Amino acid sequence: MGTTVSFKKIVALTAMVPLVASLFVGCSSSSTSNTAAPSGTQATTGEQPASASLQPKKGGTITIGLKDEPDQLDIQKTGMAVANQIAGNLGGGLVTQDPETLEFKPYLAESWTVSEDGKTWTFVIRSGVKFQDGTPLTAKSFAETYQRALDPQTAAKVAGSNLSEVASVEAPDDKTLVLTLKQPFAPLLQYLSDPGWLQPLSLEAIKKAGDKYGRQPVGVGPWKFESWENGQSITFVRNEDFTWADPIAKNQGPVYPDKLVYKFINENQTMLAALESGSIDIASKIDAKDVKKYKDNPQYEVKEMLRNGLGLFIMMNTRKPVFQQLEVRQALNMAINKEAIMKAVIQGEGVVAYGPLPPSLFGYDEGVKDYGYAYKADEAKALLEKAGYQKNAQGIYEKDGKPLTMEILAQTGTWAQAAQVIQAMLKDVGVDVKIVTLEWGALVDTATKGNFDMTLMGYTLNDPDVLYLFLHSSQIANGLNFSAVKDDKLDSLLVKGRTTVDSAARKEVYKEIQKYVVEQAWWVPLYTEKQFNVVRKPVEGVRMHPLRGLMYQDSWVNQ
Amino acid sequence: MKQFLLQRLGSGLIVLLGISIFSFALIHLIPGDPIRIMLGENATAEQVQALREQLGLNQPLLTQYFQYLSHVVQGDLGTSFKTGRPVLTEIIERFPATVKLAASGMLIAIFIGITMGILAARFKDTLLDFSAMSLATLGVSIPSFWLGILLIMFFTVKLGWFPIAGGTGFMDLVLPAVTLGVLASTVISRLTRAGMVEVLTFDYIRTARAKGLGESAVLFVHAFRNAMIPVVTIVGLQIASLLGGTVIIERVFDWPGLGSLAISAIASRDFPLVQGIILFIGVIFVLINVLVDVLYSVIDPRIEVGKLKEGT
Repeated sequence: MGTTVSFKKIVALTAMVPLVASLFVGCSSSSTSNTAAPSGTQATTGEQPASASLQPKKGGTITIGLKDEPDQLDIQKTGMAVANQIAGNLGGGLVTQDPETLEFKPYLAESWTVSEDGKTWTFVIRSGVKFQDGTPLTAKSFAETYQRALDPQTAAKVAGSNLSEVASVEAPDDKTLVLTLKQPFAPLLQYLSDPGWLQPLSLEAIKKAGDKYGRQPVGVGPWKFESWENGQSITFVRNEDFTWADPIAKNQGPVYPDKLVYKFINENQTMLAALESGSIDIASKIDAKDVKKYKDNPQYEVKEMLRNGLGLFIMMNTRKPVFQQLEVRQALNMAINKEAIMKAVIQGEGVVAYGPLPPSLFGYDEGVKDYGYAYKADEAKALLEKAGYQKNAQGIYEKDGKPLTMEILAQTGTWAQAAQVIQAMLKDVGVDVKIVTLEWGALVDTATKGNFDMTLMGYTLNDPDVLYLFLHSSQIANGLNFSAVKDDKLDSLLVKGRTTVDSAARKEVYKEIQKYVVEQAWWVPLYTEKQFNVVRKPVEGVRMHPLRGLMYQDSWVNQ
Repeated sequence: MKQFLLQRLGSGLIVLLGISIFSFALIHLIPGDPIRIMLGENATAEQVQALREQLGLNQPLLTQYFQYLSHVVQGDLGTSFKTGRPVLTEIIERFPATVKLAASGMLIAIFIGITMGILAARFKDTLLDFSAMSLATLGVSIPSFWLGILLIMFFTVKLGWFPIAGGTGFMDLVLPAVTLGVLASTVISRLTRAGMVEVLTFDYIRTARAKGLGESAVLFVHAFRNAMIPVVTIVGLQIASLLGGTVIIERVFDWPGLGSLAISAIASRDFPLVQGIILFIGVIFVLINVLVDVLYSVIDPRIEVGKLKEGT
């Protein structure tokens, strides 16, 4: 019967796939200070002073192990973060984002201007760029690409929602691209800087390939798609014509290695064995518990990043009367020792979260550490008593004869471990918690229907606009606002956050949002974890982008 | 014989119908909405609704089932929700890898199992018998993923002899096939031993020995043939289940077969793919069972397949 047990375990591993599938997976440097700090490089361990003096060599193959296989590589039709991670090699954005200053810089657009009212964005498209099928990149290519994304027929998932505020896309000539927005939309540049989701597509190649396009994609990027072995790997070869590298890279010409291979290895142990035996050069998303031995070994370089999102937080369902009382929500916030959970579940490899945003996102307010809830069990009890609860004979708080009993939904894996710690902590205070462990798909299903008391959750997105998706009242029925928060003040702040284009003013808006969300205590923020990638030595020059993850433009194989 | 085959295939069809109902009900019963998983969380209500209609998931379950069935009867297993490719293509692409692994695993299992079983029976109640049977017990109790990881740690990481996650070449095949073979051999060796112990007491064995036949001829030609029936049954069943994809071993060794396809299909609630795989495995089971019945009569001419039912 050993098989039944491990079957379940393996299903659980598959389901553990972090996160909100449609939100971007990206990463962020482990620097916890402000977002403008030049943190991308110093965050990595084993920074290579020796290799820095070595000259990059051409040739060889870099093989990267990934846990999930994408559904397809038509970037407008997939919703999988892993597809974006892979398809980023095929593409590039209108703009790019400096990994150190996080400023936006021209890339496939030489320059851009924004109209006074923030609604008309005009981009001048760079000349001399070619798709891998030979067709030149023009403003028209971008216009057609974005029109395709906006066409309901395409049913573009992420690309469509990233462009949802765009009313029309036009290309008056080959160099000029004009995006007209319904209202000013602050996250737009962030989305346009992604080399994956909003990369230009060759409509000709799409027409030619028909419904096979998802398995033979074409882009303008440094890597050309070569093959897809179903269930095993995806292989790219060097684009020899590539002379328009992202300005944030040192190497402005074609990439050094001959090939880039993504291998799909779902089992954690198998991934590590593949790394150690040399079957892969880079292992991605390694657990904190496994990473230590690689940190101590000079043969490996550990690239760590702070996730650009909250790794774990509790959402309370405000449809339930018990959570309509502010004191109860605040009491739960104070009854939970975040440090202890982080230590127990991810070996302390992360930062404790006090508010709804992590340090890695724009707009994070340093002050949240001071006004956020610290662990104060006594105050939690006092608050519950203030809310009218009395302890019963079993030591559980009750009101009108009803004990304070609630369920918490948790995904199998680390979330379920966290749920156990939370259960023990709340029990200490006098709240009875039952854990309901579900697979990811089932958890989202349950949460969307609103049939729960509390649920654990996590998110990843490159922009603080993520809070709109999780807390705006328009997102209750079919969105991510599982808590069913319906608050006019918050709604207008969240709209202000996404429509304020001036970044200083926008920062202030998010400062206010964080403060208000903490005050209202709909969530219990827990932590943001570090994410680890391990690179084996013959591979050099793998760089980190705090929001995109690993970059291979400067990478080479030292063989 | 012909009638027997028709009969068996007929009852096989009923079994397959049952499987299709059961798998359909089961996959629709586990919580988790494939639309949500597919579209991700930013999808608007309209997108969700549109895709639901496009995939026909808005219809009553019974209607969905009959639509599915009418397509299956025409040989159309549908298209995968996740990749949008035909289910049959997905399965056919993965099946060769599974066959390769199952076949080599079974060869190893049969070789080890029969050899150990015969030796244990021949040297019954000796140290050899005891160790062989202890090993078999151990083999039954060891979880396959554990043995797999152990072999990987030693032969791949430590010694660097065999690659992992490299593809489906010969060198890649060795470790998973050995893991599979060793574990599957345990049942075979126990059954072989039990059968042989019984057969070796028969008179005709004494006769064979008395007429001066060599011991190996006695064991392998005379005795084993008669001890083989339960072994063939179990080997048949094992092959059938291995062809359905050795889920755990495929996962541990990153082997791109039907088993790993099934796992990912379940995780993404890819209804047509899950149903297709289950049905495909069902067909294999039915066919192999018929084949095993036919084999009985080849091995033991006293058994006439057509008369099996009337037999006792």
